[in-house]
Amino acid sequence: MTALGVSNVEVVYNEVVLVLRGVSLTVPEGQIVALLGANGAGKTTLLRAITGLLDVHHGRVTKGSVSLSGADITRADPAKRVKAGLAQVMEGRRIFAELTVDENLRTGAMSRRNREAFDDNRARVLEMFPLLAGRLRSTAGYLSGGEQQMLAIGRALMASPDVLLLDEPSLGLAPRIVDQIRDIIVQVNESGTSVLLVEQNANMALQAAHHGYVLEHGRIVKDGPGQDLLADKDIREFYLGMGESGRRSFRDVKTYRRRKSWGS
Amino acid sequence: MSAVDTAPFASPASGGVAETLPAHLLGHAAATGDRIAMRKKHLGLWRSYTWDEYAERAAAVGIGLRALGVEPGDRVAIHANNRPAWMIADMGVQGIGAIAVGVYPTSPTAEVEYVLSHSGSVVLIAEDEEQVDKVLAARSDLPDLRTVVVKDPRGVDLSDDWIMTMDELEALGAGQRQDFGSAVAALDPSQCAIIVYTSGTTGPPKGAMLSHDNLMAAARGSGTEFEVGPDQEVLSYLPLCHIAERLISGVNAVTQGYVVNFGESTETFAQDLAEVQPTFFVGVPRVWEKFMALIQIKMGDAGWIKRKNYDLWMGVGGRLARKRWRGEKLRGVNGLLYFLGWVFLFRSLRRKLGLSRVRGALSGAAPVSPQVLEYFWAMGIPIREVYGQTENTAQGTIIPADDVRIGMVGKAMTGAEVILADDGEILTRGPGTFLGYFRNPEATAETVDADGWLHTGDVGEFDDDGFLRITDRKKDIIITAGGKNISPSEIENRLKTSPYVREAVVIGDQRKYLTALIGIELDTVGDWATRRRIAFTTYGDLSAKPEVKELVSEWVEKVNTEMAQVETIKGFELLPKELDQEDGEVTATQKVKRRAIETEFSELIEGMYR
Repeated sequence: MTALGVSNVEVVYNEVVLVLRGVSLTVPEGQIVALLGANGAGKTTLLRAITGLLDVHHGRVTKGSVSLSGADITRADPAKRVKAGLAQVMEGRRIFAELTVDENLRTGAMSRRNREAFDDNRARVLEMFPLLAGRLRSTAGYLSGGEQQMLAIGRALMASPDVLLLDEPSLGLAPRIVDQIRDIIVQVNESGTSVLLVEQNANMALQAAHHGYVLEHGRIVKDGPGQDLLADKDIREFYLGMGESGRRSFRDVKTYRRRKSWGS
Repeated sequence: MSAVDTAPFASPASGGVAETLPAHLLGHAAATGDRIAMRKKHLGLWRSYTWDEYAERAAAVGIGLRALGVEPGDRVAIHANNRPAWMIADMGVQGIGAIAVGVYPTSPTAEVEYVLSHSGSVVLIAEDEEQVDKVLAARSDLPDLRTVVVKDPRGVDLSDDWIMTMDELEALGAGQRQDFGSAVAALDPSQCAIIVYTSGTTGPPKGAMLSHDNLMAAARGSGTEFEVGPDQEVLSYLPLCHIAERLISGVNAVTQGYVVNFGESTETFAQDLAEVQPTFFVGVPRVWEKFMALIQIKMGDAGWIKRKNYDLWMGVGGRLARKRWRGEKLRGVNGLLYFLGWVFLFRSLRRKLGLSRVRGALSGAAPVSPQVLEYFWAMGIPIREVYGQTENTAQGTIIPADDVRIGMVGKAMTGAEVILADDGEILTRGPGTFLGYFRNPEATAETVDADGWLHTGDVGEFDDDGFLRITDRKKDIIITAGGKNISPSEIENRLKTSPYVREAVVIGDQRKYLTALIGIELDTVGDWATRRRIAFTTYGDLSAKPEVKELVSEWVEKVNTEMAQVETIKGFELLPKELDQEDGEVTATQKVKRRAIETEFSELIEGMYR
């Protein structure tokens, strides 16, 4: 069963800038799917097309469709999509810095009216993030970067979504914290939520993901099971920064981008 | 090498000095030094180079190279995308009697190493970090290479004694135009001026040596036949290592004195072309096919009024083109019809492509399908096919301007002789015939016979009026198990006229029937799939869709109805990946390497004969 389906989506900003050129991908129910790509490849745009937040950026889905659990949501209102079971953790965490941790979590449950479900969800989130449980009364803005990211994920889970979209959760975090976040994503997934993980940190994303897609210049150029992609020679060179013999030094970073045409 | 007609023509440089490209360059600088010779788009702005600047910098490069110890006859390699510095370096190298060797900018390290080591180049002029990295990787295997000169040093480690910048090189030779002038005056025009490595669809590339005389013969021959003059504007975009672009951006430009424009980069070709709107344009079949696919796809998306308008005027244009082929001028009603077509369709169509000012156009370097040529004639672009190869400095045949026959390659160019050998192989002779392959006397002996005839390796036939028609490469002709001779390229080119087909390789040598490997065009098939709501991810995924196979199958069936029974394609498979130079599947000029393809996809092929 497909939790989230994107079919031939084309996105144009301001009626001129063509950012996605026929992108298709599927997130099967209960799986983690990673979407990799360099800056400007169109990853965030694809997320916007899924959540319906394109119009505030003067963007428009000109072709193709997006479906959630089989229902077409291409033109649906963003709020409706959230009600239908979609939640996004935005890039850069975007927690409400002035509110407390507890208040932040409550805002996440805005779209859920059921009191009982609310308590269950809150208990589940706090169990998953024991760190947050000890800081419910703290002002969210004073949390560390890693804690803020956990809060952002926890807040999204308060709506008990079927599909969780994560936009660069590892951004600006220390490697050890990145590992923690990765483990949390796996844990979230194991408890039944399908995940679309958008990352520049290809290594982290592919370790966690069942399946991965590579986006370049608005087009999917490669896809395959996470483990296969991790081992792929080209992925290693272009996305994992590995040369023929292990990790490359920053001294070797090039001023040019090597031309690459992707096989399949 | 046959004798060369050394009578100077319109050369401001003549006056006892032998005719060479650098001599012409100095002549233009002296006579019309303030006129624009080249333009380059850099970071969005067009910058001009006058003839004086061109000559000054070429002189600085030449004398600078001499200061580095480059002697007459030494090889200097140039590894860069098309840009003014390419031509400046070329002229500087030729001017001091050294030999310029072009390397394809897309060549991977192994190929770069082969060309540098086989040519024994002593200096390499490389464009940027990307190209320098390739030579650094092969450094230990290049004992002859003394210095690497880099044009754009960003990111390059300049503390390495092996590497210097182009600015430093030019500073070494600055202000010594007199010396350069005497070096140019002392050139022996019968000596080798450039080595052009043929891209080689079979085996490693071979270095064809062309003399100053060869280049001048080409300037005379093509200058006359192409009908180019000093008021032309061209866009330099095909690789300069290839003889076709060398003739247009180098040889003809420097002898005739017209303006050569260099775009921002290879990726911005379409936009650069639209900005330049050249008056003369040379395309390879791939370029024409791509233009055609582009228009057809746009028309597919257009509303019905636009489509009807397009169908109407393309039909009218096609009928008018047939009159022009016979040399008729469009007067009266026909003139009016063409004018209306121009107003309602051709003007906007051609402006969008960047061909609105084109007065003359050529197609060469590979065989092209007649349907493609007819298409562009219909919108009033007079494309003529030319036929030649590196080894005869592209001095073979050309379609005369007043007697156009589509599907033929025309009559022998001025100064060239073209005949057929007993087995149908095309032989050429004339002042364009090259000096031989560098460091490969065996191959030279196989190519040029005792009477000076160059064996082209192509098979063809003449019609009653002396027009040549090319059948195919001799080596590529398929002999089926039934003993029938078939020219695969004719079928392949017909297949490639579909906007959905990018690549086609016909197979069938020693087999009972013909099959084909077909590569789809990602943009157009992707667009088609999107409109039919067929979801796809990658090229391989799209290629594997049954609907796509069905789409191509319909086209193959249609082409089959136009073919003789033995020429029909009985089965085909879609290629699972885009062919790539780095994977050794196509040459730098995007020609398919048949042997490599047949080996790589042997399973697919065998599957079609089971």
